Amino acid sequence: MSSVTNNTQSAQESDLQSVLSAEQIEKTVSGPSGQLTILHALDIDVRSSEATAIVGPSGSGKSTLLGILAGLDSPTSGTVTMLGESLNELDEDGRARLRAGKVGFVFQSFQLLPGLTALENVMLPLELSNTDNAEERAHGMLEQVGLADRTSHQPLQMSGGEQQRVAIARAFVARPALLFADEPTGNLDSATGTKITDLMFSLREEQGAALVLVTHDDRLAQRCDRCLKMADGKLVTL
Amino acid sequence: MSFMHQLRFTWRALRRDFRAGELRVLAFALIVAVASVTAVGFFTDRIGRAMERQAADVLAGDLLATSGFPIPQEIHDQANSRNLDTAMHTRFPSVVINTEDESQLVAVKAVTLGYPLRGALQLSTLDDPDNDAPLGVPSPGSVWIDNQLKGILAISQGDTLTLGARDFLVERLIVYEPDRGENVFEIAPRVMMNTVDLESSELLGEGSRARYTLLMAGEIEPVGDMRDWLDENMADEVRVQSVQDGSPQLQRALSRAQRFLGLASVVTVLLAGAAIALAVRQFALRQSDASAVLRTLGASRREVVIWLVLRLCAIALLASFIGVVIGWFAQLVLAELLVTWFKLDLPTPGLWAPLVGTLTAFIAVAGFGLMPVLRAGRVAVMRVLQRDYSGLDSSLLVTTLLGLVATYFVVLLQSRDWLLSAIVVAGVVLMLAVFAFFGRYIVKLVRVLAGKRFRLSVAGLQRRAGSSVVQLAAFGMGIMALLLISIVRVDVLAAWEQDVPEDAPNVFVVNIQPDQVEGFRQRLDEQQIDSAGVFPMVRARMVSHNGKPILSNPEDERQQRHARREYNLTYSDEQPLANEIVEGEWWPTDGTAEPAFSIEEEWATDRGYEVGDMLTFKVAGVETSAKIANIRKVDWESFQVNFFIMASPAALEGMPATFVTSFHSDENFSTATSGWAREFPGIAALDIGAIIKRIKLLMERASLAVEYVFLFTLLAGICVLLAAVQSSQAERKREAAILRALGASHKQIRESIVAEFAILGAIAGFLAAMFATGVAWTLSRYVFELPFHFNAFLWVVGVVGGAIGISVAGFLATRAVLDTPPVVALRHNA
Repeated sequence: MSSVTNNTQSAQESDLQSVLSAEQIEKTVSGPSGQLTILHALDIDVRSSEATAIVGPSGSGKSTLLGILAGLDSPTSGTVTMLGESLNELDEDGRARLRAGKVGFVFQSFQLLPGLTALENVMLPLELSNTDNAEERAHGMLEQVGLADRTSHQPLQMSGGEQQRVAIARAFVARPALLFADEPTGNLDSATGTKITDLMFSLREEQGAALVLVTHDDRLAQRCDRCLKMADGKLVTL
Repeated sequence: MSFMHQLRFTWRALRRDFRAGELRVLAFALIVAVASVTAVGFFTDRIGRAMERQAADVLAGDLLATSGFPIPQEIHDQANSRNLDTAMHTRFPSVVINTEDESQLVAVKAVTLGYPLRGALQLSTLDDPDNDAPLGVPSPGSVWIDNQLKGILAISQGDTLTLGARDFLVERLIVYEPDRGENVFEIAPRVMMNTVDLESSELLGEGSRARYTLLMAGEIEPVGDMRDWLDENMADEVRVQSVQDGSPQLQRALSRAQRFLGLASVVTVLLAGAAIALAVRQFALRQSDASAVLRTLGASRREVVIWLVLRLCAIALLASFIGVVIGWFAQLVLAELLVTWFKLDLPTPGLWAPLVGTLTAFIAVAGFGLMPVLRAGRVAVMRVLQRDYSGLDSSLLVTTLLGLVATYFVVLLQSRDWLLSAIVVAGVVLMLAVFAFFGRYIVKLVRVLAGKRFRLSVAGLQRRAGSSVVQLAAFGMGIMALLLISIVRVDVLAAWEQDVPEDAPNVFVVNIQPDQVEGFRQRLDEQQIDSAGVFPMVRARMVSHNGKPILSNPEDERQQRHARREYNLTYSDEQPLANEIVEGEWWPTDGTAEPAFSIEEEWATDRGYEVGDMLTFKVAGVETSAKIANIRKVDWESFQVNFFIMASPAALEGMPATFVTSFHSDENFSTATSGWAREFPGIAALDIGAIIKRIKLLMERASLAVEYVFLFTLLAGICVLLAAVQSSQAERKREAAILRALGASHKQIRESIVAEFAILGAIAGFLAAMFATGVAWTLSRYVFELPFHFNAFLWVVGVVGGAIGISVAGFLATRAVLDTPPVVALRHNA
């Protein structure tokens, strides 16, 4: 069992609803020298509007954990519950349906679709969740991230910072309950990184989304409500 | 997501794909495939049909039924019920007498209105051979005659001739008679009359030797149907002939043209298929990242796959449309060129060709694209976080099998031959296997041999072992197809040129009596005419084969016909020039040869005769027997005097014979042969210049079609090269960025890329030359029946051309690699 439990949560936090919880999750992969355990029986609970940072050195299993929590990958054992539904009982398409419009992502490598314009990229989650006024809302969101004049630009025509702002607009446009961010400033210089972080946190606060942030940037982690550290596939509270 | 949403999303993705140039190669390959399939389809359909009609000229109809008795009414009824056009002619020997009371044996042909159904007579007035006269059939009470009779009886315009019980006005001179070439040894001059005059002239009495022919013409299907009916029900009553049984020269030219067009279109489709396979795979690979992002954002696998499939369908549909339009225009141009030649309306293009074109696009996209697209839909979503998560799961076997099934059906659509398609697919599998197997080892060998300078390039090839082998196979296939089509094309065209040489004999002289031979030879010398020799011709009936009488059942009409038939035999010590022994041996040429026969290959095959069989012929009441000593292959296109049956002098010498010769004359036929008829009474000089001219024209036009289709093959070849080059572009971009980051100059990277492609091109060219030689040998020998020439130049072109061509294509296609700033390449591929 991990050394981290939710008994450290404050009374105020416990009033909030759990949007994501993982119990006893373990991930084992087969490697050249036999079975390799990446995650060791982790428990984690994320409440609505709460920002949780997961920090740790490269190779400690942060991204694997994020993938499992977001339903992008399945644990070898243990259960994950997202927005009240058990991911274990859903197949991959079921998990995708659950994410549509309710879960946002910000990636280190932006993951914008090349060839689509900024506006079209931001419209994607709305279209996937069959939301009306997709174009109007995407426009509004791009305005909010300061890219009203770049709507028809394609990712390769934009700087890294601009691309990440488009990615943030895409993540928030559907007003998700839960946001996953994987090293969002990893590909940016420090000044741009700070601006992006400010933008992300202000939008999160405004929309009240829960955030799970994977980073090795301590300053970024400190802006979260709580910080968990991963080491050798285990979590410790900081 | 609702269906309308999906369509909208697909539409947007398509626009994006085109904007990003993702689909350029795929669309290009599809367009070339559809355009070539459609154009070739139109060629073989429209022009092929028209060429058959041209060949039908020599029969004057699409289908002929001939008998020694009037054609049964049932046959007329059957032809009418199939809405076929019909006409009749009746041929028989007779004698005409001019006003000077001179008589001449003639071959009379009485025709009905509508003759000829195919081709056209060329007529003139008797005074002026260059003055075209209107067409039709002889009006009742008048006859048309040929040059030969005009010369013999010195007939002028307005003269009368007595034929049977009536006098006839000589109305026209027949300059060209389309079906005259059917039997050039029909020696008597021609008199053509109207059938309505037959009765009043009392020409056909009891026991007269008349041949009645019903000519039929119409659309392909009813004609084919009629032929089947005749073969089934009337085989004993009538002799059936159609275009396929027509003149051997025309038939060969036509079937070679069709085979070449068929081969070129199959090769084109194969190449375009390979390009489609590469491009679709590339498309799916690139979509796997987008697929992961979309699924992260909430799209289901099904939705992702539906979008990809819808996009591919939309591309296939769009490319089909453009391809069909291009194919249509391509054939229009050629059809326009040919219309004047055919002198008839080309058959309307059918819907089959565009349908096949569109089907080809969809089969290719489904066969080559389905598995990669399904795999792109199943790509691990974790790729958005960790790129080392597997991109595509490897169901290579299923993908390959599906691709081969698609190849099979695409080829089948072209060839409409189950077995041939299977052979082609097996050939492709074998070739790809060889390329994959040897390619790997050759790359290793090159690495050992390559100096320091090319280490980077060869290392590049080895690093991308998988895609290098794919590229090698694609380049190899492209180069092989181009080499193959080039050699076969050149060989086919050259063979046609040689088949009917400029100095091909255009005059045949027959019925030279033995005592005229010397005088006639001298006459030729005086006129400086170079003949190919004067051959004896013995008319004989066949009596028995291996002791079994030919007429074993006197009730059997067919046997009767065979037994009645007269053959023209010749004898000689020497083996004729345009003849090749395929079985057995030629007899001794020193005069010691025993009696023996030599027979023509197809004639032997049709009857099942073999070397060693005993044949007995009857010549003027005397029987002569001998064994078959050898079987000959005759080059009919040589237009020399050729015989189905030849004998050693011992078998036929001393038997009643006339002599025959042929020669080429640049002079006008009438001038060249003027006075001969009176000097050598009884000889007949026949002008076959018009026939040769038409055959040459047919070959020229067919060559044009061949060259035209070759253009499409070239385009398809370029498509494959582009698709193959493009398949490694992303990898190269990243590598070049790393190298430049490490300090490599533009020049170094460019040299490395060019050298890598040059090595790849040279290896592919070498293997391609090897395959092309093998396949060309097989095709020459078994399909086109042409002599095969080993072509060392092919290997040079293969290796050097491959190296230069691929490196230039590779360099041009990867210019973007050098133009991309390393930081962009690295960031984009992070």
